[in-house]
Amino acid sequence: MMFTTNPFTPLTDFVSPAVMQGYIVLMVLAVAIGTLFDLLRDKKLTFFLQDRQRAKAAAKQPLSAADRAAIAARTLVHDIATFGEFCNQHRRISHVLMFYGFVLYLITTVVMVFVYPTDTHPPLVLPILWNIGVLMTLVGGYWFFFFLRVNVVHDGHPPWRLVRADLFIVTLLASLTFALVFEWVALAGNTMATRVAAGLYLFFTTLLFVSVPWSKFAHMFYKPVVAFQRRVEEADGSSSLPTPTTPRGERCPHSHT
Amino acid sequence: MPTFTYMTRCDGCGECVDICPSDIMHIDTVYRRSYNIEPNFCWECYSCVKACPQHAIDVRGFADFAPLGHSVRVLREEANGTISWKIRYRDGREKAFTFPIRTTPWGSIKPPSDYAAPDANALSSQMLAHEPAALMVAALPTLPPFISKQG
Repeated sequence: MMFTTNPFTPLTDFVSPAVMQGYIVLMVLAVAIGTLFDLLRDKKLTFFLQDRQRAKAAAKQPLSAADRAAIAARTLVHDIATFGEFCNQHRRISHVLMFYGFVLYLITTVVMVFVYPTDTHPPLVLPILWNIGVLMTLVGGYWFFFFLRVNVVHDGHPPWRLVRADLFIVTLLASLTFALVFEWVALAGNTMATRVAAGLYLFFTTLLFVSVPWSKFAHMFYKPVVAFQRRVEEADGSSSLPTPTTPRGERCPHSHT
Repeated sequence: MPTFTYMTRCDGCGECVDICPSDIMHIDTVYRRSYNIEPNFCWECYSCVKACPQHAIDVRGFADFAPLGHSVRVLREEANGTISWKIRYRDGREKAFTFPIRTTPWGSIKPPSDYAAPDANALSSQMLAHEPAALMVAALPTLPPFISKQG
């Protein structure tokens, strides 16, 4: 029954659990190596370290470890956990849906593939959370893709015109869409459709994780670091921005929310 | 002093694309962040610099006549009605200014769409649309009649 059975059990008809587990390890490695390659190739790391040194030299008041911990906590709560950086609330909600949905999907996938690969009925919470994660990602992702992409909404591009910046969102949506299709057709018992859906799911999932150096996948890792650095610069006085006239300042003007 | 975008600060909201009167702020196809497609056509109006909610847009002179290393940053605080500037010189000196954005409350100015359509006969008038009422004066000042000098 949908939402209650392990969506990966039908895959064991084609491949062994060990292959599925090895595939996940390979994909994790692909993301790690891809991110490292991206950091070095475009000299993103060099730029970030140079900018950090410049900020350190321009600091007017040194920050204690406690100050830094407080800034890290604020960054975690405001900028990472709730995507407070976005002034546009629609973009914020779509990113929240995509991020938490994708994290739920990843965690439950790893647990089901590594702990219950052949168990059709793992603990009920796992397949339910897997489906919720997939649906959250798809709702947030399709909303973003058709109605919120800045080049479509503000730059006048037609929604079907794909550019390199779309590689991440397109492979993410295709991967999770075919994950859901695969789950449905496997439950329906159609072997041929299950094979086709499994193949497409595997293809787009591989593309999603292998294309990290060319896609926007790694912005999930970069954004928190930059948000933390920005808050540090505001606190130690090295920011080139004017000091806000009120203590906390105003991050999103009313006209932009 | 054309504009440029700090890619790490930009969140790709598109406000600069909408506000740029020269239509030169566009969205990059690789990172989906804004960038100035034609710096030499920049009017230096600073509209995008002020409108950017992330303070991701800055200005700089062309390197061939204005040495780099300075910065001109702006912080617009609508709720307080202030706009602040921080100028950082290449030798490290800094100057900071804060000005009121406006002196009347937000929304208190009547937009053009709220005015009645002008009469066609107004085309033959010397006045612009809705003058003198829109200027809040009874009548515009006029020059005295010209008197030619007697030779």
